[in-house]
Amino acid sequence: MSGRLAGERFREVVLPHLPDALSLARWLTGNVHDAEDVVQEACLKAHAGIGTYAGGNARAWLLTIVRHAAYTWLAKNRPSNLVAVGGLSDLDEFALQPDAASTPEAAFLEKADTDALQAAITALPLIFREVVVLRDVNGLGYREIAQMLDIPIGTVMSRLARGRGTLILELGKGQ
Amino acid sequence: MKHDDKSTANPEDLRLLLQALVDGELDAATALEIERRIAGDPALAAEHASIAAVSGAVRRQPRPEIREAFQARIAAIGEDGTAAPRPAARHVTAHRTSSFDWRAMAASIMVTAVLASGGTWWAMRPAPASFADAVADAHRRGLLAASPVDVASSDRHTVKPWLDGRIGLSPPAADLSAEGFKLLGGRVEVVDNVPLPALVYRYNEHLITLVAAPRGPGRGIATPAPADLSAGGFSVVHWTDDAFSYWAVSDAERHVLDDFSSRFRKAVAKG
Repeated sequence: MSGRLAGERFREVVLPHLPDALSLARWLTGNVHDAEDVVQEACLKAHAGIGTYAGGNARAWLLTIVRHAAYTWLAKNRPSNLVAVGGLSDLDEFALQPDAASTPEAAFLEKADTDALQAAITALPLIFREVVVLRDVNGLGYREIAQMLDIPIGTVMSRLARGRGTLILELGKGQ
Repeated sequence: MKHDDKSTANPEDLRLLLQALVDGELDAATALEIERRIAGDPALAAEHASIAAVSGAVRRQPRPEIREAFQARIAAIGEDGTAAPRPAARHVTAHRTSSFDWRAMAASIMVTAVLASGGTWWAMRPAPASFADAVADAHRRGLLAASPVDVASSDRHTVKPWLDGRIGLSPPAADLSAEGFKLLGGRVEVVDNVPLPALVYRYNEHLITLVAAPRGPGRGIATPAPADLSAGGFSVVHWTDDAFSYWAVSDAERHVLDDFSSRFRKAVAKG
């Protein structure tokens, strides 16, 4: 692929999804500034590999590269945030499902304060946070997430449930 | 998504089904069944409502703004494939110490430099016999391993995301099954300490390992005609296109590999 053609494809395939890319990177790194660095790295890789984009969901393709760039960045700059990834069994105790008595009213959750919700999302362990963000912020389907993370769909579903369950519990504390 | 045993679903499964209903991931029949159960069970209804509420609240979170300067930097990548340097007046967030900030910046410059120069290095570097040897060794290891692939799939839409997820790049995985070359899957091959994507095809009783190295900016002209670099008792052919340098290695005869190479290039060119 010629440089000009690559540039054209880059504009078609990558640029429309920049807001999604930045949102994902923002939640994985924790702030917008670092997210810009990560997205820039990812876009360099996307440009170099644009010839490998085989059609299909361009957003999922780009987000896969962004996620990888974010993990590389985390490994360099926030290695402690990645630790939990190695020990999934430690997380079994995490994210207790809210029982009926402690479940806050849906109306209360809907009005949740933006800061409180942001803090709760940021506090989620990475493996739960990324699934919640890919689903609710980036709007990917279960199957796309499973493919991107290379995990079974059932695992996507249970991580999502635990992530959301934890958010519900955290927000409910303010009720 | 189908669930056959809804009436006896345990609470955990039921919770996943409630969630799948919120996410629009249930087939119509299961959705109907779950909706009926919600209608008859206030506790379930409350749980469903709170899942929907938290999902909606996350979805409505304000999105980071795309700053003009940032948009311009990304657009510049589309122009020439390299990153413009970050503006010197770097915005420092309050919670970070200056020393950390410096390291972060150094790391980011390092990454950019490695990416840029690494790409050039790969591109400018002639393919020495030793590289062909290394690829042949990789193929031999693949033959000896319990499985020649780390992700086994004849579906390129499975193999490519898997490679992308591992090392952030994946070569075109041409579907050549109609021509006798069946895609078995992919793996990550480390050649000269650089992780590279490798695709594995089968032709009759022979395996073909195709290692691809990305070609960065400043690359030389593509050399579409395959060069014979047979090494270590294996046939090896090498060619490049605009995006990748390819090494195909096999214990099959040379003409099989040439045939594979030309069909692969044809399929990639067609997209």
